[in-house]
Amino acid sequence: MEAASVPVAPAVPFGEKARAFISTYGLIAILAALPVYYGVSDLVNDGNLTRLGNNLVAGLSNGAIWALIAIGYTLVYGIVELINFAHGEVFMIGSFVSASFFGTVGLTAATGVLGLVLGLALTLIVAMLGSGLLNVMIERVAYRPLRDAPKLAALITAVGMSFILQNVGLLWRGGSQEGITDLVQAQKELFSFGGVTVSNGDLLSVGVTIPLVLLMTAFITKSRLGKAMRATAQDPEAARLMGINVDTTISLTFLIGGMLAGAAGLIYALYQTTIWYFQGFTAGLIAFTAAVMGGIGNLRGAVLGGLIIGFIQQISDNRIGTEWTPALVFSFLVLIMVFKPSGLLGEQTREAG
Amino acid sequence: MSAGAVAASDHTPDSRVPGDALLSAEGVTKQFGGLTAVSGVDFFIPQRAIVSIIGPNGAGKTTFFNMLTGLYKPTLGKIRFDAKDITRGRPDKIMALGIARTFQNIRLFGTMTAVENVMVGRHARMKAGLFGSILRTPGVGKEEKSVREKAHEELEYVGIAPRLHDQLAVNLAYGDQRRVEIARALASDPKLLLLDEPTAGMNPQESAQLTDFMRKLRDDRGLAILLIEHDMKVVMGVSEYVTVLDHGEKISEGLPADVRADPKVVEAYLGKQG
Amino acid sequence: MSATETPPDAPGTPPGQISIKPQSALVARLTAPATQKLILPVVFLGLMALVPLVLDQSSPLLRDATLAAAYVVMALGLNIIVGFAGLLDLGYVAFFAIGAYTIGWLGSGFFAEANGGEGIHIAVTGFAASLPGIHVNFLLVLVAALIFTTIAGMIIGLPTLRLRGDYIAIVTLAFGEIIGDIAENGDRLSIGDYKLTNGKQGITPVDKIDLPLVEPFKLGAIDGRPWFWVALALVALVLFVNFRLRDSRLGRAWIALREDEVAASSMGIPLVKTKLLAYGTGAAFGGMSGAFLGSYLNTVNADQFQFSFSIFILSMVILGGLGSIWGVVVGAIALSFMNFRLIPELRDAPSLVGLDFELTDLSFGIFGFLLVIMMIMRPEGLLPERRRQIELTENLEGGDDVPVQAVKA
Ligand SMILES: Nc1ncnc2c1ncn2[C@@H]1O[C@H](COP(=O)(O)OP(=O)(O)OP(=O)(O)O)[C@@H](O)[C@H]1O
Ligand SMILES: [Mg+2]
Repeated sequence: MEAASVPVAPAVPFGEKARAFISTYGLIAILAALPVYYGVSDLVNDGNLTRLGNNLVAGLSNGAIWALIAIGYTLVYGIVELINFAHGEVFMIGSFVSASFFGTVGLTAATGVLGLVLGLALTLIVAMLGSGLLNVMIERVAYRPLRDAPKLAALITAVGMSFILQNVGLLWRGGSQEGITDLVQAQKELFSFGGVTVSNGDLLSVGVTIPLVLLMTAFITKSRLGKAMRATAQDPEAARLMGINVDTTISLTFLIGGMLAGAAGLIYALYQTTIWYFQGFTAGLIAFTAAVMGGIGNLRGAVLGGLIIGFIQQISDNRIGTEWTPALVFSFLVLIMVFKPSGLLGEQTREAG
Repeated sequence: MSAGAVAASDHTPDSRVPGDALLSAEGVTKQFGGLTAVSGVDFFIPQRAIVSIIGPNGAGKTTFFNMLTGLYKPTLGKIRFDAKDITRGRPDKIMALGIARTFQNIRLFGTMTAVENVMVGRHARMKAGLFGSILRTPGVGKEEKSVREKAHEELEYVGIAPRLHDQLAVNLAYGDQRRVEIARALASDPKLLLLDEPTAGMNPQESAQLTDFMRKLRDDRGLAILLIEHDMKVVMGVSEYVTVLDHGEKISEGLPADVRADPKVVEAYLGKQG
Repeated sequence: MSATETPPDAPGTPPGQISIKPQSALVARLTAPATQKLILPVVFLGLMALVPLVLDQSSPLLRDATLAAAYVVMALGLNIIVGFAGLLDLGYVAFFAIGAYTIGWLGSGFFAEANGGEGIHIAVTGFAASLPGIHVNFLLVLVAALIFTTIAGMIIGLPTLRLRGDYIAIVTLAFGEIIGDIAENGDRLSIGDYKLTNGKQGITPVDKIDLPLVEPFKLGAIDGRPWFWVALALVALVLFVNFRLRDSRLGRAWIALREDEVAASSMGIPLVKTKLLAYGTGAAFGGMSGAFLGSYLNTVNADQFQFSFSIFILSMVILGGLGSIWGVVVGAIALSFMNFRLIPELRDAPSLVGLDFELTDLSFGIFGFLLVIMMIMRPEGLLPERRRQIELTENLEGGDDVPVQAVKA
């Protein structure tokens, strides 16, 4: 009786709003911490932002690669709620296919511009098809039989697939880092303004990524198959009732994700000019971090996350030390998953805590 | 108690809640995004009473339950149980205070036997910790044994034949699963038992038995029961007091007969069907 | 539906035919399995203890058996986390690393300047007692490893508490990688005047096991038997704990929350505490085994702490059967022998059929293959645990009136 006529104050929603506010802006603050810190220190020490600008350019080029891979995670997670742990290896195979194909079509450092463009365009198609089909096959063999099993069973198979593919890579091109002919002279300066240089590699990376992402977005939003994909992601059962072939749609999703990873594989091989069987493990985790950061299931989020991670990674490589970059990225991963599992652009969905 | 003294729904909270009410809820609201599933509901349960919540599908009954048991945090409002504020309490703590429940869709631990399920229900009243369990101190051994015995007793009390006690829960018949779930809730010696559509899927004869069983339970153990139920025969037969929810709002409350005659209630149900 | 009535929907049981078991049968049911349960472990451990007596002291088989025993300890530790509590931990290597560094720090010359170069010696005898560095008795190191890893387990567990299963897996993986990175680059980090780790150089030599009443152990090659017996003692301990916990209040709570967190918390099980206890106990055994391995392998080296190690241990648990104690023992022994004996022995097999690689190159691919095949063909493992078999092979769709995520830790 004592508490009887106390009007109920809206204190609780305020608390919840405050928490949501802190977690969103806390995430942004954490992400901005490194760039801001080093930006200020550049201004103090050098009087300009050239170094940070260079970090940004290199970061965006790397980030474009992570973005392409991250889209594959996000698409697949959106539709089957599985972390396709082998996706990093699909990307690695894309690099390997590319490197092998250079020789096949006779691309060398001496090839003329026209030949180079044609040859690389052909390689791009082959790498995308190779990785895309591989990803479809993985789904068929390893995930589809477990679609009704507990979710963790499929995740364990995915880890297993990732190990198998690493081993394939190891047998294919050996166990150590392998140098690749620097076909596009990736580090060569293309132009610069205000001390910030843009290299061939930067142009290639961004120049391939942007059209691919636009094309793919158009496909998913406009085409009939793309609409089927989105319908299936929202509610597989309802999609089935509406006459959508869920199996085909899932295969298509893996195909698209794999193709983008294949493209990333080619860019990576050209940009870094080294490849090895283990590159997919770290790249996979970085790209997955990007996908979660952007909000898993969200395409724009994956791209945004990839670019941000690329930038942060570049700053860390350049200023803290390459050996600490993975630990830094993994720390971001943990922080995001714990404090803002819905990411920057994700809606409050099931995975949102 | 004199539930009859309570007039039908008005929204000024509540000078009518008896000071010794076992549970009281004040202006309890739950929103999911834009959807208000429960809206400003005032409610109380007297000691040793059997009361019901009814309402059409999606009225917010289960959501209300989930707030009482801590699974959902109310967006607004206040819940008190046994003179303690439990509004945003954790489910396990609320259970330890004396509220036990069953689920609308049975949620037994399928891979445990009936007895083990009921033993889990006793968890909050047991003391064995990590080291005690590893060393199996005499105290722990004794506790384990007595809890197992109590679990068998509870199962027999709800009418599960001894030969079924060591069956896995998944392998039990539907009606037995419902009963085991009640036994599991009873194992913690609750002061308040929440039953979410316990007669769903039962035939009339079974429902009638359950009605008798609820009365017996209250008389044997002195606990209060809050029931969500669609079967009007059960509701009218057993409840001392009925609250009606529709679209998250309390549209009527009172004695069963009065509620049944309330035009708002009739309309809510007919509207739903038509 | 009162107690005396026949349940109306018990098919095929006419009233009157329900036999209530006599009290003596009930008592027998309660006591008999308890004694039976003792027989198998005692026989198993007894037979194992005899193994070194039939093998040569320096037999490579004895070395393999010792390693296998150490891995059984790890696998049974992971089994508590993944098998009992259902928390998929892909970063178990973190506990191996922390346990190994415990002995690296407290049982070697790594901190050479400690105590002004005199060294710090706690309850050590023999050779180590005169060396610089910190030298703490092995039993104390074990206790320290247990404490460190339990704490680490809880710290790593804490952020995962509100997460879904697959996110838990990734967060634990990330922690494992972070610990691995710190181990690898720890020679560039310093605490006071000292490096944190010795990176890929490794900390070596590491103190040998030094037990009261017996002489300090020698290197494995000279006499491997005492090492094996110590490892076996750890196995006995971890087996004991696994069995006791499985059949306890805590064990039931783990199964309950693994199956249905909503129902578990509504039945009075505190999710946070119960999960943290799983992480803590599971981690402790990883740490103890890690300390043992540090001493036995005579090095604590950053190369040992890779993601593939976590998967190696996870494969053991999955091969044997999630949650199945004997299954995990068998899985650990099988994979450990496969890794340290079978694959190296068959190293040249591919070249015999004209392939130019060595079988050892394939080892992690083989474990990956094993994971895939097991999950598809026999997810419940070789020696399934009854409950897990049902969970993994039948569709146990629970109620959906409360989404799992509604329960916040
Ligand atoms: N976790 C949730 N997230 C979003 N909406 C929810 C959630 N739980 C319940 N709702 C919505 O709240 C409303 C009330 O649901 P609730 O389950 O409480 O109804 P009910 O009265 O128990 O119905 P029934 O008789 O069918 O069991 C429904 O519209 C439901 O969709
Ligand atoms: Mg309901």
